Amino acid sequence: MSTGFLQSVRTLFALKPKQKLTAQYLLSLFAAVALAFLVGAGIMLLCGYDPITCYAALFKGALGKPRALGNTLAKTVTLCLTGLAMSLAAKAGIFNVGGEGQLYLGGLAAAVVGARMNGSPAWLIVACSLLAAMAAGGAYAWIPGALKVKLKVNEVVTTILLNSAAIYFCSYMANGPLKTAERGIESGTDSIASYAAFTPLIRLSNLTTGVFYAAVITLLVWYLMTRSTVGFEMKITGTNERFARYGGIRADRLALWGMTLSGMICGVVGLLEVFGLHHRFMTTISSEFYFDGMLVAMIMRYQPFGVILMSFFFAILNIGGSAMELSAGISSEVMLIVQSVIIFFMAAEGGISEKLRAGAAARRIRRDARRAGKGAAV
Amino acid sequence: MSEIFNILLVQNTLRTATPVVLCALGCLMSDQVGIMNIGVDGMMLMGAFFAVLGSYLFGSWLAGILFTMILGMLLGYFYYVFSVKFKSDEFIIGVALNILAGGLTVFLLRTLFGVKGSFSSPRIVPLPTLHIPWLESIPVLGPILSGNTLLVYVSWLLVFLCWVLLYKTPLGFHLRASGQAPEALRASGVNPDRMKRIASVLCGVLAALSGAHLSLGYLTMFSENMSASRGYVAVACVIFGGSNPPRVFLAALLFGFIDALGMRLQKYIPSDITSMAPYVVTVVMMVAVVLLKRRKPSGIKPAAQ
Repeated sequence: MSTGFLQSVRTLFALKPKQKLTAQYLLSLFAAVALAFLVGAGIMLLCGYDPITCYAALFKGALGKPRALGNTLAKTVTLCLTGLAMSLAAKAGIFNVGGEGQLYLGGLAAAVVGARMNGSPAWLIVACSLLAAMAAGGAYAWIPGALKVKLKVNEVVTTILLNSAAIYFCSYMANGPLKTAERGIESGTDSIASYAAFTPLIRLSNLTTGVFYAAVITLLVWYLMTRSTVGFEMKITGTNERFARYGGIRADRLALWGMTLSGMICGVVGLLEVFGLHHRFMTTISSEFYFDGMLVAMIMRYQPFGVILMSFFFAILNIGGSAMELSAGISSEVMLIVQSVIIFFMAAEGGISEKLRAGAAARRIRRDARRAGKGAAV
Repeated sequence: MSEIFNILLVQNTLRTATPVVLCALGCLMSDQVGIMNIGVDGMMLMGAFFAVLGSYLFGSWLAGILFTMILGMLLGYFYYVFSVKFKSDEFIIGVALNILAGGLTVFLLRTLFGVKGSFSSPRIVPLPTLHIPWLESIPVLGPILSGNTLLVYVSWLLVFLCWVLLYKTPLGFHLRASGQAPEALRASGVNPDRMKRIASVLCGVLAALSGAHLSLGYLTMFSENMSASRGYVAVACVIFGGSNPPRVFLAALLFGFIDALGMRLQKYIPSDITSMAPYVVTVVMMVAVVLLKRRKPSGIKPAAQ
């Protein structure tokens, strides 16, 4: 384990991941991004805005000031962790669409434990909250996972429905039994001890020491998926399930574990939001963060390294979008449209490039035939 | 008790079930030809917006419905092109469509109407309510069956029509075959892709109509994310109704009942808990269906030696 682990760290720093993101795929990605930006520019023109000003405001708003950069990096962390959670489950052969609910429950559990332990040393509070968040998120993911593995109940639908259930449940808890007695707080649980909360790394930004926890998780997931036996088993099951079964790999157990771990990561994302930003549980700790991360994972084909890079790009669009709304005046939702266009094109990437190739081949054949015909006539 | 369980509850059940019924019928069409359509939730949301837009611009509910149906056709065709022609992952396309719907409707809401959150105006003309005189005279059934908005009746009719289309017509046979045995269908001289196109466009129209019921029938306004995962509930209904229109209809009615019951119980139970109920019950139902199927002996008996 130890040499393998060191080696993997070295590989990570050497930035030479061996992943199936082929050059052709990356080229398509650039094309899709360019096309999506063109679509966005078209919408801006239609609404009477200057695309260049808007896009300049977008990038300036995301990267221009240290504070903005901090916010973008914090968003990257969220997207990256949720994306990895999705990837982990998907690689294990199961779809976790319920990360949003797991995130809420993880955040609630972390906030409750964090507030109850007021007075204990900071490290103990963080450790216990971490355990609570992982337990809550993991358990909530285990349910649809077990239903899928044991009873073959479609996990995509159950996880989506459980999202709504968890969000309503957390809303009930935060406004009902667990509502804080503090004055001036409309809804939310008691706040955690201020000394236990993560401290900002860049002044006034959302980037906190929580990023180190995220880094550890990212490293672990990356190791698990690409360098460990479990990762190898996942790879085999993914490519050829029958072969994997003959090799003695239990696909159902793998799927259940993948789902549970995925839920645990989502729970930790909830904790990061609570300890880093709000310092208490509120119903606004996430607004479909998991879905953004999930899509990042999908278009990067569940490759951890790609997910990390793409998270940064999507974070720019997300954080920059709000800044663009403030300075250029166009509604930030235009960036959601741009994002979905990227996703549409990347999902259709295989089909479209196949069609293009087939079209080119047909043209070539026709041209050759014409030439041959001319030759015969002369 | 009589305060909760009365005729109003039945009326509310029908009213809240209708969008799910329409959406589930669309999803079922798509499911029959072998396309999993997770994107119906987004189609519903966009349909709700365009129904309001049409009704607002032309001052007529008919224009709203027309807008919605055209949009639905386009969305259905779009889904077909991406999932069948470009062979994309249906799941990704569906989720992306839902995100697009969320972004686009909010964007249009702000750009066209300059409001955030929700839009209502006296210029939006809602769907008409139908009063059927001879039905209303029947003691209990009368008030339940009469006085609903137009799309409620349309949805009942469509359940029947979908069943007839799928199981009693040659076209329905081809539709089902394109999902179950596309190669056999091709061999018999029918293009399975054409069947998939028809079903996908139908799915788009039905899902968008369900949105029109939300924004012009159930309420007379559009609000952000007003579909509230109802599209996913419809997908769940299709799964445990086994893609059979009458059974899917019953499943959707059950959802509507839980939803309506929850709304009436809000006096006694916190609203968050009652809002949670339909989703939890749907999941429990999905599990129950599997467990019940297990206990029943399968229809195919091993051949006698």
